[in-house]
Amino acid sequence: MIMFTKDSRSFAGGVHPPESKHLTEGKAIESGPLAKELAIHLSQHIGAIAKPAVKKGDTVQDGQKVGECDAFVCAPVHTPVAGKVKNVALQPHAVLGRGKAVIVEGQSETPPAVPSFVRPADFDPATWTPGQICDAVREAGIVGMGGAGFPTSVKIQPDPKKPREVLLINGCECEPYITCDYRIMLEWTEQIITGIQLAQQACGASTVAIAIEDNKPKAIEQMNATLNRLGLADQIRVVSMATKYPQGGERQLIRAVLRKVVPTGGIPPMIGVVVTNVATAAAVAHAVVDGRPLTHRVVTVSGEGIANPGNYYVPIGTPVQALIDHCGGMRDDCAKVVMGGPMMGLAIADMSTPITKTSGAVTFLSKTQVAGEDGQWRETPCIRCGRCLQACPENLNPTRIAHAVRNSLMDKAEGYYISACIECGCCSYVCPANIDLTGYIKTGKIHLARQRKKMPA
Amino acid sequence: MSQDISVSFAPHIRKPLSTQRIMLDVIIGLVPVMIAAGVYFRFRGLLLIGICVIWCLALEWLCNVVRRKPSSLWDLSAVVTGIILALSLPPGLPLWAAAIGSGVAIIVGKMVFGGLGANVFNPAMVGRAFLTVSFGMLMTAWTVPATLDPDLPPVEPTNIQDVRTQATPLAWSKMAIKDENGAKIYNERQFLPTITGNIAGSLGETSVIAILIGGIYLLVRRTIDFHIPLAVFLSAFVFAGVAYLIDSDAFVQPFYHLTSGALLFGAFFIATDPVTAPLTRRGMWLFGLGVGALTLLIRIVGEYPEGFMFAVLLMNGVTPLIDRLFRRVPVGGKPRVA
Repeated sequence: MIMFTKDSRSFAGGVHPPESKHLTEGKAIESGPLAKELAIHLSQHIGAIAKPAVKKGDTVQDGQKVGECDAFVCAPVHTPVAGKVKNVALQPHAVLGRGKAVIVEGQSETPPAVPSFVRPADFDPATWTPGQICDAVREAGIVGMGGAGFPTSVKIQPDPKKPREVLLINGCECEPYITCDYRIMLEWTEQIITGIQLAQQACGASTVAIAIEDNKPKAIEQMNATLNRLGLADQIRVVSMATKYPQGGERQLIRAVLRKVVPTGGIPPMIGVVVTNVATAAAVAHAVVDGRPLTHRVVTVSGEGIANPGNYYVPIGTPVQALIDHCGGMRDDCAKVVMGGPMMGLAIADMSTPITKTSGAVTFLSKTQVAGEDGQWRETPCIRCGRCLQACPENLNPTRIAHAVRNSLMDKAEGYYISACIECGCCSYVCPANIDLTGYIKTGKIHLARQRKKMPA
Repeated sequence: MSQDISVSFAPHIRKPLSTQRIMLDVIIGLVPVMIAAGVYFRFRGLLLIGICVIWCLALEWLCNVVRRKPSSLWDLSAVVTGIILALSLPPGLPLWAAAIGSGVAIIVGKMVFGGLGANVFNPAMVGRAFLTVSFGMLMTAWTVPATLDPDLPPVEPTNIQDVRTQATPLAWSKMAIKDENGAKIYNERQFLPTITGNIAGSLGETSVIAILIGGIYLLVRRTIDFHIPLAVFLSAFVFAGVAYLIDSDAFVQPFYHLTSGALLFGAFFIATDPVTAPLTRRGMWLFGLGVGALTLLIRIVGEYPEGFMFAVLLMNGVTPLIDRLFRRVPVGGKPRVA
């Protein structure tokens, strides 16, 4: 049995960016836009890229598998709509730049309705064996919906060598602006809890906790009330977390809740912990109970640069442009479009970039946010103030790593443990000299990867 | 696209804090000290500050022109250097000497290294050290505050014997070592003036109250961390305490070492200069302990009555080593394969 820390549910380092959640936190999940063409990427996860299971001209049914793969770490993809496969071609991809996608021309005229999940009255997770749950989760193509996109079936698979002891459900949502998980926790509470029970049944964890930042008291209250009503309060615990970025980073979360440290370069299962996002848990419930594949997700469209922000239930593959049109268009001062939140999200230039399983938000930032009051942000010399060191949740020395990378001293960058960086962006956020520390570190990691490929050990 | 959309690495938002703002905060923190300088040394004190700031700015501009670099005056670091240098000078110092000090501070102390962020030693202390070794007489002629004698002729090499000067509290305590009752008299008489600042000394070091107000402002604004000042005070206090316990007649009470001399001013405004102090918290502790101990070593054992400047410069020199000593290790431990 693992002891939870009692009070300070936090970690060392981190920053407090403006939360900016007020724009969308009061807005219920609505059905999103219906785009004519959906581009369903074959790589929406960590692991092997799925191979197309359909070809140009095929007719597909909604929920049909359009991409699959035999590799262990992989997830199939499905089409959210019925229609015709227009092409299998390269499409803009938020993470990869470009990736192969199945383009489906939909036939439906009605926008996607927000589904309702009915928890069976006599629901008992023991009806399913762990194997059945893992298979259903894999078949449904479920990946971590918090952002990383690690295939969930791999995560919750029982491992006889290293038993999964703790199941942590991540409802922190520490990124500014994003409220999709918050709305799911309020509106789909039973579904999340059902999914959690199924995930617990699959991985065999004895301890289950839902971690929610204390800036979402309603979600904490709702979760506790529902657990009490279902008589599960003694099995699943809701843990209130300090509001701090990156509280939702799994390494930080595990540290804060369990006071356990995930080894550098390791993953949580190495210390017997499984971390899963609330949206993922909800998808697990749909997949196992209803047999529905992961074809839609809730996306927060927010920021000062969009006319009508909100939370939308969106088919995966919907281009960002459709969301922009649906939300009343960009404002004139919008200067950056970000897939994800402003701290870790990826800026996109092509508005035809489709939503993937891991896109929790599209954030539209205004010019003053991106370039400062005078629009003149520029890099100035490092004054060694050490603010990046204090902000770093992984106890690194960002300024030294960044300067090593800038001077192409890769061995020096490695000496400062560049590989341990989680790229949370805290260092760049606090830097008074406006140095793009995270950017340098990311660049350095790419350089290192290239060097290794060229020079085999 | 109808709109200009930019792309870049995350994060896409920044904390509204700039180097300029940090320097401005330091200047604001120095305001109470400058006011105290104005109160006790009148126009002379303010003139000295003005001269140093103007020369620092002018020479930084000149260096930028020579190096063909864009102007760096906007970051206000030259203003900070000028003020701190001025506040560390004796009030009666001739203006030409202050100008030379400013030049050495900016050119030798900062710009030859490549400007802000690249210097090894605190520029203001480099300038002051140059003046101390070059113009020893002028740098130790401490005119009494105007509140004690309003008729203050400026000190020049020619009239240095005629000006009414006074020993600084530390110089006094140094003399007291040679006189059995000196320490006792010192302890009785000098307490209040060292707090208010109504005593001879460098422009900015005399008033404990003003320094504390400025220092607390910097701490509240989080412009500086408390680690370095606290470490300086702790080690200085312990060092002075040991000396006092060994021979309480020859050495002053440890408390006086904190209130007199440049220790308090320097602990808040000089040792905390981020460019020349270590990056890590542990490093800051060691740095502060070193500054405090070295200062007291010079004060008690050495020939100089005051040693803060040399202590800071020495510790500046070992800062890169301290940073290497306390290299940070990731939370998850060192990676197994490097």
